Formats: sequence, structure tokens, C-alpha cells
Amino acid sequence: MEIQVRGLSRRYFSEGREIRALDGVDLTIPANRIFTLLGPSGCGKTTLLRCIVGLESPDAGEIVIGGETVFSKAKDIYVPPEKRGLGMVFQTYAIWPHMNVFDNIAYPLQVRGMARDAVRERVARTLEFVQLEGYESRPATRLSGGQQQRVALARALIAEPKVILFDEPLSNLDAKLREETRKELKAFLGKLDITALYVTHDRVEALALSDLIAVMRAGRLVEIGTPQKIYFDADTRFVADFIGRANLVKARIRAQEAERTLVDSPLGAIACQRRDLPVGAEVTLCIRPEFIHVAPGEGAGENVVNGRIESQTFVGETYESEIRAGDELLLARIEPDARLATGDAVHFRLDPAHGLLVAR
Amino acid sequence: MDKARARLTYSLVAIVGFLTVCPVVMLALGSFSEGLTAFGRFTLGKYAGAYTDPAFFGVMLNTVVFVLGSSVLATVLAVFLAYLNTRTDIPFKGLFAILSIIPMMIPHLLFSVSWALLLNPSNGMINVVLKGLFSLESAPFNVYSLEGMILVEALLDLPIAYLIIAPAMRSFDVALEESSRVFGAGPWRTLLRVTLPILRPAILAAFILGVVRSLASFAVPQVLGMPGRVSVLATHIYEMISLGFSPDYGRAAALGMSVLAASVTLIYVYRALTAEGEKYVTIAGRGYRPTLIELGRARIPLFGAVALLSAAMIVLPVAVLLYTSFVPYTMVPSARAFSMMTLKHWLDVLNDPLSLLALKNSLFLAVGGATLGVLLSIFVGYAIVKVRTRAAGVLESLSFLSFSFPGIVIGVGFMWFFVQTPLYATIWALLIAYIATYLPYGVRPMASAFVQIHAHLEESSLVCGGSHLTTLRRIIVPLLVPGIVSAWVLMASMFVRELTVSVVLSRPGTEVLAMQILKFSDDGLWGKLSALGIIMIAISTALVLAANFVGARYSRAVAAGAG
Repeated sequence: MEIQVRGLSRRYFSEGREIRALDGVDLTIPANRIFTLLGPSGCGKTTLLRCIVGLESPDAGEIVIGGETVFSKAKDIYVPPEKRGLGMVFQTYAIWPHMNVFDNIAYPLQVRGMARDAVRERVARTLEFVQLEGYESRPATRLSGGQQQRVALARALIAEPKVILFDEPLSNLDAKLREETRKELKAFLGKLDITALYVTHDRVEALALSDLIAVMRAGRLVEIGTPQKIYFDADTRFVADFIGRANLVKARIRAQEAERTLVDSPLGAIACQRRDLPVGAEVTLCIRPEFIHVAPGEGAGENVVNGRIESQTFVGETYESEIRAGDELLLARIEPDARLATGDAVHFRLDPAHGLLVAR
Repeated sequence: MDKARARLTYSLVAIVGFLTVCPVVMLALGSFSEGLTAFGRFTLGKYAGAYTDPAFFGVMLNTVVFVLGSSVLATVLAVFLAYLNTRTDIPFKGLFAILSIIPMMIPHLLFSVSWALLLNPSNGMINVVLKGLFSLESAPFNVYSLEGMILVEALLDLPIAYLIIAPAMRSFDVALEESSRVFGAGPWRTLLRVTLPILRPAILAAFILGVVRSLASFAVPQVLGMPGRVSVLATHIYEMISLGFSPDYGRAAALGMSVLAASVTLIYVYRALTAEGEKYVTIAGRGYRPTLIELGRARIPLFGAVALLSAAMIVLPVAVLLYTSFVPYTMVPSARAFSMMTLKHWLDVLNDPLSLLALKNSLFLAVGGATLGVLLSIFVGYAIVKVRTRAAGVLESLSFLSFSFPGIVIGVGFMWFFVQTPLYATIWALLIAYIATYLPYGVRPMASAFVQIHAHLEESSLVCGGSHLTTLRRIIVPLLVPGIVSAWVLMASMFVRELTVSVVLSRPGTEVLAMQILKFSDDGLWGKLSALGIIMIAISTALVLAANFVGARYSRAVAAGAG
């Protein structure tokens, strides 16, 4: 089911100040995709999710889920959450402590008045799907974090909703379990025809899970795209910086060519991926550390940058090095067997495809 | 939804505001008016009269000694017990839990009476036994004295002090102590330089609560102070309104104003301290058990001291009441005494129309008052924890205010109010005043129950398709039941034993159990008193057991009936 959000605004008043949690958000979430809202804390992503599920009422705008308007300020429509027929996994999982696993999962069917035998059969099937067979009578208070997460997922899925929402569902798990659960979740969702809206502040999670990512900042959508587009080809400096580690260098557009844009920067004249920006504009050149491949000694030629290794930190699979090039300090990865020492002269050639220009 | 919540909060502010602010305002108005019970012209005469009374200085001095003495003693004992329990290898640690809970079931009035029976100078049982053993001329102890009052009040305040200090000690990070030891300090120096200073907020909080409680204490000074002519503020105020030809509620109000001001100030200091304490300590041990200090040869003597204290706080008072209710007149236990045992006092009490009326009234107030009080507490707890607007903040402060109310003083305030209404001298006046005075006992368990219900638990039910009613029935109420049960038990057992508000407000026809017991005490009818007292304790205990039973059954029913 497709979700459409139009002109959504939500304000809070806190200690006499107005906070715009959502500031005119327009968004279309295509059917049967995993769509992620990504952003720093306080950017409004959770508020947007809670408005879609119906736990909060926006101050303005419209929400349409699968062709049905569930909220409209102008038409005075508000469908309460229990009538929207969605599934949701909460950040805290919200497993009811006074019920066992069976009752927790069966709840959505019980409140819909389904016959007992059918409920039992469906719960068994859903538990099998989340690989918790035989846990029916286990008290909810005696589940590990990972098991709680699966029970929460089972409860969200059992009524076979067309849309499922996730509010930072992995943030309560430890690092190792988080990675496993993320893979599992992707596998589960891949087997279902379901629209998933996923909220997180973890960029790795967003990149690994999503079909599409929407980056939010201060109540507004900044950019929407596939993980690859967001990572390699961001339109804004905020997104480029937020989605991964990046060296950000001030630059100025010198000339436009057919395939490339030339800039002047403290690193010298650099040819970059083409961007439609006026000549003379102040921009930011964004280079990801993994695309700086250093070689010993000095070099010359187009897009070649010379520098010195200022520091090196061994982090296992690589050395994380800082390279002094003019006044700039660039973060780079150096192979552990490169046998370079602090103070050595190095150079690298930047592939224009990996020189990303964003407005300043 | 927001509008409904705002309306709920404002009506609660109005109700709770009426219950807590009304008696205070009436007290203030009353203290400035001429005339005795109705409002008259403005005057400062009541203050002048009350504070220049030649007896006032002596009363003040007694009060200060009594309040500070009992609070210090209770706090020191509590620190000692808490330390022994949490940090040493003292045997039978289960005893400490009993010691901190059970004494709360014994009403202050009965506790005071039982110590009068044990230690009064003319025929107190311990005194008589000691006189016989050591052939003494006179009784070695006189409980009808300031020292006796301090001892008994301290024992009464000890459980509360312990319940504040023990958790702080338990959550205390032992690494702080261990590092002191590593840097060369011995156990004693570590205790004095590290442990106690870090626990200072909790210890101070316990002390201040002790001060507030002993300042409000009426049963102990009335039973133990009056025979020896030792007056403190609470009994002094009571004398003004109960003795002589013309009770002077104006002077009582004038004195009450300063008691109330002191209590309110202290209780807010207490609140600040407990908030401070929370950010100070609590570094949870994450499954790590601190090494216990080995008491070695001191183990058995220290345990003996704890056992003696338990006996003094639980076994002796109940035993002496039970015994006294069966013997025809006060005598030391002996073969002869046991052979003379009779049910006479029990039959007398059960045939005494006044006692039966008091019993009926107290039961009605306990069941009806606790039910209404808990109902109000549920809404107040909900508003405080879940609504969290500015009005809800006001509500929290208001509902906390009555925690500081000294019963006698607030009773006088309510007296000024009820006398203007048709409720005067009815049982409803008592009911309203009870709920107002003991509201925090309902609100606190409800608030902590609501805290445990994370908003997500409610919201996930809505998202799963449960309506608001279904959510209330299947999620919220079941999770609240333990809180409701403990709030109800607390309030009901407070109401069964209520004395201080009742002595001011009750009139012929609305006597309650504690007043009837006080009357027996004034007349020296110890046998009847004991029989009625045992009935009172039995009711309290039955309420606790019944509520627990109902709570457990309800939880099971909800869990089973879910399909």
C-alpha cells in the first residue's frame, strides 16, 4: 500500500518555546518497499511515524494510506490508530508484561474477534515465521532482548497488515545482536508483500536495510533516494556528511565541461563529477576516505594531490591516517601492509567520479 | 483527547485543591477571628493569647526536646539496622524485612498504651518484675516522662527511617568504599569519611521525616505525656479545644499555624533531599555482590540486639495487649494470672453499644473512605504521571502538601470549615477530612504504578486495533491492579486506626475506634481497651490479607480469561 503525506506540520510548545517537529513534509512512500526515515535525534522522524500510525495528530496536512484518507486537517478527518489496521514495532518493544507470549501475539486477532482455534493456528504459524516455535506459554518477562524483538515483530505481523512501521527497533540490542537481527529482519520483510516504514538514526542500519532512504533535518525532508544515491551522490552537504565519514573541503567552481565540473580548492584544481552549479559558486568538495588511495612519494598530473602522513592509527583491518595536504587535513585509509610511516611523503589521484560537489 | 485531559486535570486541581488548601485557609482565617467556632471580627488577640500564655514556653521546650530526641534516636537506630542488614554477615536477615513492615500494622495509640502497661511507674509489668527481682523501693522506669515519650516515638518512627535509608545503602556503589580501603583507610575511617557522607541525603531525609511525624504525633504525648503532665504542642492544642467550659478554636488555630508552617517547610526540604539523593547514589551493582563485612565475635551480640529490638517493637506490644484483654485486672503474668483468665472484657466490649458504634463507623470509613480515596488517587496519579502539563505539576505539589499535615492542626482547620456546612458532626465530615489528610498514601502507590506503564504499552494496543476501552480493560487496569491494591490497603489501614483528625472532628454519634480506645485509656479500663485494640489490629490485618487475595485472584483471572 502506498502512503502519501502532504503538507504535514506538527508543533510543540516546550518551556514557552515553539518547536517545529514537522514543518510542511511532503512524501510518497511507494508500496511494498522498505522505506527508511533517517536523521539525527530531534529531526522529527519519530513524530512523522507517530502521525502516520495515528498516535499523534498533526496541526496541518493530510495523510493517505492505500487511497484512504486517514488524516486531513482541512476535511477534519482523523481515523484513530486502532482503525488504521497497521502493524508497528516499538522502540521499547512494548511487550505487555502481564501476558505470556501467546496472548501478546494473539492480541490483535483477539480484539478483532477471531475464533479461538483460528487464533491458535495463526499464532503458531507466526511464531514459526519469527523462529520462536513453542514459546507460546513463556511469560513475557522471561524473554531476552532478541526474543522480545521477535515477539514484537510477530505481533505486528499477525493481523497481516499491508503496512508495518518500525520505530528504532534495534537500538535496544547490543552491537552483535543488532547486526544479526538486522539481517534477519531484512530476510523476513523480503518474504512478505508489505510496505515497511523504518525510523532510525543509525546510518549503517539505514543503508543495509532500505530500498529507499529519506533523510530528515529539523522537521523537514532533506533528500530522498536509494542507499547508493544517498551515499555516493548526495545533493546536500548535510546528507553527505551525515551518511558517512567524509573529508569536506571548501572549493569554488572554475569551469563546466561535458562530463565534469572543475573546481579550485586548497588541494589545487580538481576535476569532479558534473554538477549544475554556476561558475564562481562557493561549494563543498566531499571526498570519502575509502576513495583516497595513497601511494608513496610525490606525484604529478591531473587530480593528483600531494601530502604527508601526519598521523596513523592502527584499527585492525586498516590504518586510519591523517594526510596533511597544504592546510587541509584529510582522513584516508591505508592498507596495513603499505609500510608507510608518519612523516612520509605520499600522493593520491582522485577519480572525478568520487569527487562529490555539494552546495555549501 | 488533549481537551479531555486538560478538563480532567483542571477538575482534579479543583478537587485536590479544595481538600488540601481549604483546611489551611480556614485555619488561617480562624486564627484571626474573634468568636469561638463561627467567624467573627478580625483580631490578633488569638495569637497574642496563645503565644504569651505562661505555659507556652514550657510546652515549646518539651516539644523541641521530644521531636529532636525521637528523630535522632530513630535515625541512628535505622542507620545501624540498615548497615547491619545490607553490609554485614549478620544472621537471619529475613528479620529485618519483618522489622520494617509489621510495626506499621500496629496503631500508634495501641503501641503507646502497651508501653504504658509495661513501664508505668505504679503497676507496669516490667517495673513490677524488676522491683521484685532486685527488691527495689521504687519503679526503675517511668514511661510517663519525656524520656519515655522519646523512646516510644523513636520506635514508631524507626520503620519509616529504615525504609528510606536501607535502599540507599543497598544501591550504594561499594567500589567507593573499596577505593578508600585501597588508599589506606581502615573500616571505621571509611565509614565516617566515605560511607556516611555519601548517604547523607538519605539520612537527612529520614531525620526530617522523623521530625515531621513526631511534631504531628498525638497518640504518644496523649497517652504517655498527660499522666506525667508533660505537654507538647499537639496535646496543648488538643487541651484548648477539648477541656474547660469554652473550647477556643481560635487560639488552637493560632498555634496550629506555626506547627503547620514548620511541617510544610520541612516536608519540602525532605522532597528536595530525596530528589538530591536520587541523583547522588544509585549506581546499580549489575549483578555484583559486595563482600560482606565479617562481624566475627560481635555477630551474636549484635544479632541479640536486633532480636531485642524486634521483641520491643512487635512481640511485646501485641502480647501485652492480648494478655491484658484476658486477665480481670492488671497483674504480672503468673500461674495464678493464667488460671484467672476470662472473656469478660471481650464480652463487655462486644455488648457495649458505644464500642459497637465506633467499630461500625470505623469500618465504614475504612472501606468507603479507602475506596473513594483510591478512586481519586487513580485519576490524580494518572494526571501527574501521564498528562504532565503545568496544571498537572500544580496537582502534584498539592497532593504532596497533605503529606505534611499534622492531624490535629488540619482537623482544627476542617472544623472551621465544616461548622459552616450541614456536614458538621456527620460521618461525611470525617470521611472528607480523612481523604484529604491521607491522600498521599493513595497517590504515591498509584503514581509509581503509572510510571511502570510505559506509554508504548498503551499505544501498541491501539495500533494492534484495540479500542480505548479494550486497552483500558486488557492492558492498563491489569497493570494497575497491584498499585490499586496497595493504595487501598494503605488508606484503609490508616483509616481504621485514625485518631488525630477524629479527636477534633468527631461528635457524639460519629465516634471511631481509636477514640473509643483513647476513652478507655483515659478511664484506665485497660482490659476493655486491649480487647478493642486487638479487634482493631485484627481488622487491619484482615484488610491486608483480603486485598492481597483479591489482587492475586484478579491478576490470575485476567491472565486466564484473555483468550
